[in-house]
Amino acid sequence: MSPGNRAKPDKESSAMRSEARAAAREALPVETTDQTPDATIREGEMEGVLHVVGELGFRAASVRAVLEYSGGHRRQFYDHFESLEDCFQQAYRTWIDRLGVQLLEAAIAADGWQESVRAGLIRLFQFIGERPTIARSLFVEVHVAGGQAMAEHDAAIERLTVALDSIRAELGPDDAAPESTGLFVIGGIEACVCDVLAAGESQRIWETLPELMHLVAGSYLGPEAADAAHEEARALLEQKRTELEGRQR
Amino acid sequence: MTELRLVTDDFTAEGPFSEGSPLPLRLPPGRHQIPANVVREHQRQRLLAAMAETIAAQGYASVTTTAVSERAGVSTSTFYKHFGNLWDCVLAAYVATSDRLCAAIEAACAECDPREDPLDVGIEAALSFCVEAPAFAQLLCAQAPLEASAVAAARRILISRLAAMLRRGSGERVDSAQPPGLDERMIDATFVFLGSRIATVGPAQLRELAPELATILSRPRQAA
Repeated sequence: MSPGNRAKPDKESSAMRSEARAAAREALPVETTDQTPDATIREGEMEGVLHVVGELGFRAASVRAVLEYSGGHRRQFYDHFESLEDCFQQAYRTWIDRLGVQLLEAAIAADGWQESVRAGLIRLFQFIGERPTIARSLFVEVHVAGGQAMAEHDAAIERLTVALDSIRAELGPDDAAPESTGLFVIGGIEACVCDVLAAGESQRIWETLPELMHLVAGSYLGPEAADAAHEEARALLEQKRTELEGRQR
Repeated sequence: MTELRLVTDDFTAEGPFSEGSPLPLRLPPGRHQIPANVVREHQRQRLLAAMAETIAAQGYASVTTTAVSERAGVSTSTFYKHFGNLWDCVLAAYVATSDRLCAAIEAACAECDPREDPLDVGIEAALSFCVEAPAFAQLLCAQAPLEASAVAAARRILISRLAAMLRRGSGERVDSAQPPGLDERMIDATFVFLGSRIATVGPAQLRELAPELATILSRPRQAA
């Protein structure tokens, strides 16, 4: 959606409505215990606000634009949410929690710390490839929105930092990385994601996998591990990039 | 769209307020002997400082030209005499602050004892800048909105400059096999890290992070 076509009705909006509802039904199998039409509309509104904020920016987002994307009526929207900001905060919490779970699930399914980190990054990149507009909301515009959404963001970062820090149990006291390493590394990954998303080049995120693995492994384990992690990620991309990028949820 | 070339002058360089006592909030009212160019420079500096302070206080979500003008003590019409729009002013503040940070680091490294580690000196200079000018530091660390694409470009330029300094400062430890772009990632991560610390614990404690930050920045390239 662009600012110029926000007022266009009917065909496009209808297509977007059905797409949004279908996506909401698919994307929220865990959280959506209530399958009533009203709950589905609410989920669509939450996806809508993330889509609109990712497309237009938080400052330019409006309830009208959200409803053009999701369908439904203004009165329904205000039955569900106090304001646009409230809708964004609730949507942010839902989606960032779900993404966090997906990353951790991918990480847990892999053997070994470095493999887990790489699996988590790959899942993150897949999400960015599948939903770049929503990813812009989650990673870039949340910094503009601030408030409770930013608090949810910080909580999610904290959870991922704890997961990254699990390697410390395997390191001796002399090998331990500084206390802030996890926060630093996650910050580096997020900055990289923001850079790519803000430039509108979401597919370029894959090219950063080797250097991010170098950053993560090097920061915790030193240069030899960094070089190995970089090389493994580079080789993996060479062999399987198309397959990884093409993964469908 | 805002272009970087629109804002090239550095207000810290050779302007009328480059040295001396801190700026008064307002110049004397009414008829006075202050040259017009001095008044304009004074207003511009106040607007840049006000922009950084407003974003630090309110975030990007609610910053407006009106809020910035009020904080600077000028009218909105004066704001628009200096800047085409809100984002021009943000960009000008960002570029000027970038130059100040780089100049502070370069000056500290140029003046340091040869026995000192330039990486440590550079980090201490950068953290001192953040402590002394926290609103400007937050401006550098904050993620700009999507519509402020020129600010994002200015951020990338700053990161490249600082990454080059990091490479020079880490000279002997640089591994020629390290992936291109790693230093830029480290600087980017440092901004996010410092922004988070300023938001959570405030700028006053930042200097204490110097040893830890030096270890983090050098760890991926230290000899095993």
